[in-house]
Amino acid sequence: MITIVLWGVVGLLQKIGSNHSTSNSLMLWTTAGYIMLLPFLLWNSHLLTLSTRSVAVGVVCGFTNALGAWSLYTALERGARASIVVPLTALNPLVTLVLALIVLGERLTTLQTAGVVLALVAGVMLSYEPDSGAAV
Amino acid sequence: MKPNARVFHWLVPAMMTIVWWGLFGFLAKLGSDEVNAYDMQILFTLGTLPIAAYILLRRSGMRSDRRGRITGAIIGLVAGAGGIAYFAAMARGKASIIGPVTSLFPVLTVVLATTVLKERLNAVQAAGIVLAVVSAALLAS
Repeated sequence: MITIVLWGVVGLLQKIGSNHSTSNSLMLWTTAGYIMLLPFLLWNSHLLTLSTRSVAVGVVCGFTNALGAWSLYTALERGARASIVVPLTALNPLVTLVLALIVLGERLTTLQTAGVVLALVAGVMLSYEPDSGAAV
Repeated sequence: MKPNARVFHWLVPAMMTIVWWGLFGFLAKLGSDEVNAYDMQILFTLGTLPIAAYILLRRSGMRSDRRGRITGAIIGLVAGAGGIAYFAAMARGKASIIGPVTSLFPVLTVVLATTVLKERLNAVQAAGIVLAVVSAALLAS
């Protein structure tokens, strides 16, 4: 729930920011924001006790996230309409879902399956915006 | 250029976004099972640096005013805090549920955009909000 609230605010800030910055520049300053958080996080960190595998998973996790955003901006630069491509990319939790079911062997009840499917559809619909002056 | 070729020109990076972000959710689960949420956010930040460095070195399409830069930095702070909550949720729950549920965050964006930015809610988004509420009710029961 906290994630939804904070990322929901991020969505609004991105709308505001994109009127004052190109996507590349905004992404760079977002990374600067991430870095500003580090001193607070390092305060209580157990980073040095982690296994190489855990460190690798965490770093690649950040890498794939940034790569995803960069691919989206590339698609938009190549003339994709935001009203189509942004809802399309909202399907990404489907990949997470499939990987979790297959690789991690997670199982859902019927009710949970219905909820997850609705969440995916809702995510796509919520990110739909008509093209006139639409921001990423 | 043929219309088809033009579509595929952007379709490939768009599909890559789905794959990369989907993989992000999966790796977030793998990592959060072993690493606490704060350390995950540190590692996550390290992982974003190569892309930031690439953008910085390429030096193309980099324009922003002061307000854009400040907004960007605040986005990083808030998104980072959201990331910590995301990793904490992943540590406790199933990725197959947390992934789709956290992707409902545009509910708040849409609501905030209509109230703060006075944007008009479109019919598709309104229906999306209804589905999101039904979905949350199903998953909470």
